[in-house]
Parts: sequence; C-alpha cells; structure tokens
Amino acid sequence: MNLNIFFMDGYGLYVWSAFIFTFLVCFVLFFKTKKSLNKLENDYKEEVKKLSAEQTDTLKTRKIPREILTSQSKAK
Amino acid sequence: MFYLLNPGNLFVLLNKASKLIKTIIVPLIIVSLIFSLFISPKDYIQGDSVRIMYVHVPSSWIALICFSLISFLTILNFLFKFKNAFIIYKSLAPIGFVFCFISIVTGSIWGQPTWGTFWAWDARLTSMLILLVFYILFIFSYKFIKDQNLSLRICTGISILGLINLFIIKYSVSFWSTLHQPASVKVLGKTSIHKSMLLPLSLMLLVFLLYCALIFLMKYRTEIIRMKKKGLKRL
Repeated sequence: MNLNIFFMDGYGLYVWSAFIFTFLVCFVLFFKTKKSLNKLENDYKEEVKKLSAEQTDTLKTRKIPREILTSQSKAK
Repeated sequence: MFYLLNPGNLFVLLNKASKLIKTIIVPLIIVSLIFSLFISPKDYIQGDSVRIMYVHVPSSWIALICFSLISFLTILNFLFKFKNAFIIYKSLAPIGFVFCFISIVTGSIWGQPTWGTFWAWDARLTSMLILLVFYILFIFSYKFIKDQNLSLRICTGISILGLINLFIIKYSVSFWSTLHQPASVKVLGKTSIHKSMLLPLSLMLLVFLLYCALIFLMKYRTEIIRMKKKGLKRL
C-alpha cells in the first residue's frame, strides 16, 4: 500500500490536521444546533399539550405552529 | 422578495429545502474530499500542502460573505425596522464566526510549512483576526444587551466598522507588502488557478455553502419556535 497518500511527502500532518479540524468544528456546530432545535421543539410540544382543546384548534389553523406540530409527529 | 422574507412563508419553504440539503450533502462531501485530498495535483512549489487551500479559501469567502449579509441586514433593520432581518442575521452570525475561525486556524496551519511560521502580524492575517473580533462583538451585542434599541444601534455600529474592515481585507494584499499571496480566483478578472485545482475548490465551496444553508435553516427554525413559544402564553 502506498502510504505516501497519507504522508504527502511530509505535509500530511498539516493537511490532515487542517481537514480534521475543519470538519470537526462543522460537526460540533451541526450537533449543537440540532440539539438546541430538538430541545426547543420538545418544549414547544409540551407547552401545546397543556393548552385547552379550543386553544390547540386555534393554534392548528396557523401556518407555523401547524408546521412545527406536523414535523414533530413525523419525527416520532 | 418581501413575500419570501415573511416568517410564515419562509418557515414552510425553508423546511423543505433543509430536507433536500440533508439528502445531497453527504455524497457531495465524500466526492469533494476525494478530489481535494487524492485526485487534485500537487503545487509545483508548495507540494501537497496546497491541499489546505480547499478548506481555507472557501472558509474565508464564507466568513466575508456572511459578514456582508449581516451588515446589510443590520442596517436594513436599523433604517426600516424590518423585524425579520433580526432573526436572519442572528442565525447567520454564528456561521460566519465559525468559518472565520476555521479560516484563521487552517491559514495558520498552512503558514507553518509555507512561511515557516504559524502566525505573522501581516495585513491580511491581522484584518481577518479583526473580523473575528467583530463577529464576537456582534454576537455578544445581540445576546447580552437586553435593551433591543441599544443592541441594534451597537450592532449597526459594528456592522459599519466591519464593512470598512472587509474592504481592508480585500485590498490588504494590494495596499501592503504581505506574506499572503494575492487572489488567484477573481469574479471579474482572469482566474489564474488551473482547472484541476479549481474543480475541487468549487466542489468544497458548494459543500460549505450547503452546510451553511443547513445550519442557517436550523437556527432560523430555532428562533421562530422560540418566538412562537412566547406567543403561546398570549393564546
């Protein structure tokens, strides 16, 4: 196996560390954003459960809450 | 344009876009990594270290584009009190910050084999570091200043100063004698980079742009849900 693909004539350490750093930071941002979004969606769902049937029906006539609640049920 | 910037319409439309991005981004990442790390040729002077360009350059471009957009939206919000602009720039700022940070770190890693040092107080490097500071100040301003009017005024001030800094970043390699090389890819002028390197660079830029769009959509959704959650109490 040609290991020079990974060593890159001595530049491998710099190249791989730059790529790993970039993708690691991107993954951290992605998972952090996803986690806070999921948490907020669940909190929203919990608060909707506490509403009366009439209030829930009013909520479902609105575009954004309806979309959030639909995506919640799909996520299940 | 104003129809699309309406939170309700944007929310539904962008959620569909988010699902589409999620399906195409992974294969694109794999292809662009294969091109960047294995298929693209070495540079005749820099050797394999030139591959760092494929993450460094798109990150820098995105950091600059994000700040330009943020500044435009902040000024728009300041002048016309266009509330949705606040949600958009609040969602964009962390993305720009992350890419500015990536740009500085990868540039620093590239600097060691190329210039023999991780850091130099060079005009381009210093102005990029100042941009990072502007990003931090901007994020802190909308996060920690409770008075919305004061926060908006500070954000606008930072945006205007940041725009001047963007101009300095762009022309720093022409105004001063710097270690940093001049731009090889020009929108209006002649691009001096070979196609075999331009292809992986374009692919990686596409991946980063899609990633930015995905994070933006998630952050935008978070902000909207936060607003709607507050609205539940008024039902």
